Amino acid sequence: MNSAELKKEKKSLFSSKKQKDEKIRVEFDRTDWKDRWKIRLKTGSFIVNIVWRIFRFILLLGISYVVIFPFISKIFGSFMSPQDLVDVSVKLIPKYPTLNIYRAIIAENYYFAAFTNTAILSLSCALIQMLTCSFVGYGLAKFKFRGVKLIFFLVVFTMVVPHETLQLAMFMKFRYFDIFGIYRFLMDNIPAIRGKYAYINLINTFWPLGILSFGGLAFKNGLYIFVMRQFFKGVPDELEEAAYVDGSGPIKTFFRIILPISRPMMITIFLFAFSWQWTDTFYTNMFFTSQGLYLMPDIVSVPESLNSTTFVAQALYNSAITNTCGLMIIIPLIIVYCFCQKFLVQGIERSGIVG
Amino acid sequence: MNREATPGTPRKAAKAMSVPTKRARHRQSLDKRKARAGWLFVLPFVLVFVLVYVPIIADSINYSFNDIVIRKGGGYTLQWVGFQNYSDALFTDANFVPTLTSGIQKLIFDIPAIVIFSLFMAILLNQKMRGRAVFRAIFFVPVILATGLIEEIDLSNTMTSYMESSGINMGGDTAAASQIMSAVDFQNLFSNMKLGEELVDYVVGIVNNIYDVVNRSGVQMLVFLAGLQSISPAIYESCAIEGATAWETFWKVTFPMISPMILVNAVYTVIDSFTSASNTVMSYISVVYKEAGGTTLSAAMSWMYFLLVILVISIVAAILSAFVFYQRRDS
Repeated sequence: MNSAELKKEKKSLFSSKKQKDEKIRVEFDRTDWKDRWKIRLKTGSFIVNIVWRIFRFILLLGISYVVIFPFISKIFGSFMSPQDLVDVSVKLIPKYPTLNIYRAIIAENYYFAAFTNTAILSLSCALIQMLTCSFVGYGLAKFKFRGVKLIFFLVVFTMVVPHETLQLAMFMKFRYFDIFGIYRFLMDNIPAIRGKYAYINLINTFWPLGILSFGGLAFKNGLYIFVMRQFFKGVPDELEEAAYVDGSGPIKTFFRIILPISRPMMITIFLFAFSWQWTDTFYTNMFFTSQGLYLMPDIVSVPESLNSTTFVAQALYNSAITNTCGLMIIIPLIIVYCFCQKFLVQGIERSGIVG
Repeated sequence: MNREATPGTPRKAAKAMSVPTKRARHRQSLDKRKARAGWLFVLPFVLVFVLVYVPIIADSINYSFNDIVIRKGGGYTLQWVGFQNYSDALFTDANFVPTLTSGIQKLIFDIPAIVIFSLFMAILLNQKMRGRAVFRAIFFVPVILATGLIEEIDLSNTMTSYMESSGINMGGDTAAASQIMSAVDFQNLFSNMKLGEELVDYVVGIVNNIYDVVNRSGVQMLVFLAGLQSISPAIYESCAIEGATAWETFWKVTFPMISPMILVNAVYTVIDSFTSASNTVMSYISVVYKEAGGTTLSAAMSWMYFLLVILVISIVAAILSAFVFYQRRDS
């Protein structure tokens, strides 16, 4: 190929780029717009279409209102002062707005301590769960080995058995932690430490949730594994084969090739794991029994300074206060959701759960 | 597997198989390597499942047949009582059986409501329109924000708002729905249609609890959306060319294609109801759990409840799977 030809090619490339910017117009015989409208009106498709659109919009708006309204009323309620609650003319917007409720919760309910503890717990759990579930999901989707069907069945099994049923056994397991009695056996049979036999108590530590997260057995992890598996099934095998041909092992392939393309799905899993751990009460009530370690469920109470026995509408005021606690708990979730919500739908849509 | 093996007597063929050529051996080792890597990937799950989860399940079943006595020095002892806990729960405890039956009943009625609602919403949200992204974002808010703790707070607030019927509402469940349309209007509308009394009550109940239904159908909506996205647009195109109406297209194309998702969602709805704070049976069991001496009783109760629910799931699955249409795929 000589230089002249190359130049020509370059020129044609540039010109095609220029053409891209201009709109391509195609001339063809089209029915006159008057006739088109006549037909539309006669068949009624136009009217049906308009009516359906209006109906759909109103319906969606109405249900959006149902979803959003509680949050709005809680936000307004959180600024109310006791006078507002007695005033009959106040429906939604407070007349005497104060920040008293927020101040009292921060000052008396150990809000920041609970916040940091829960943040550490939720972030680490969500990260571990995200990694484990994509790991296990990838193993189940892309590798054929003996027992793969059995393991998938076990995953579905863990999804079906609710942890509420196992509450007592789970508590006892981590209160007196032992693996098949090995620890106890060692303690009984090694002379040097015999007699100092004590149980390993994992309650009030992050270990129980950490262990469950690591194994993909924490809250709804079966669902995450299932979703990740379906997603990886949709990833073409050629991608990995190309990587194997180039001499990269399965694990390197997973981290270098598969993880980057499954980002929306993983963010979805992370979002679920994080927010469900954040607002969780079941595990936190079960595994954290001491008073010293503050977590989010602990701050939902009425601060002493706002509690009075003489106030008429105290019950109402109390519910305003607990709602404010709820709002303060979900503030970080709202922020995370605003950033991640587009991945939520994207990830699920691409997953092709149908399989 | 071995293409070079010449056809001959069976014994010869077997011999040829047993001495693998270089290529075959290499491929086998790659398969083996891949199998090992597969085990490595699922290892965390298998490890914790065997070491922690299986003992927990076994213990849980074991506890339901025992009494637990916590020793003072630490540790605990079990006392075998056989079916004592189960008979206590069924015959001695006055509240358990009524709670259980009403809970199961509510569960059975909730399944169609949530599945139909989420299917309808998913179809709406799947259509092309202006502001779809915003509506989607709003509809998935409850999945993230209104679970666990927030749900519990809401629940306790409705109780206080019942006690205190004041002008201000604090974002309770039913408040929003009753502002859209009062239940009485709805009842009148339906009673004129000469439908059964029970059906009217059922629909009115759903409309009154629309907030609850919306809250609990978030994941189901996502699953349905994923299912709808996976239907090939070519099918709809050919339907339009053949002149099918939207109604026909729904029943002949969308519904059969989405039917596996209906089964999945029905099962998921049942499982999800365990963790819901409005589940009366679970909350009753947790009350028993906290009582003195009620710990193993609660284990027995929750296993009974679980078995009943599994029964419900399998009945629902059996009924639905008769209608499920599986698209044949060449895989």
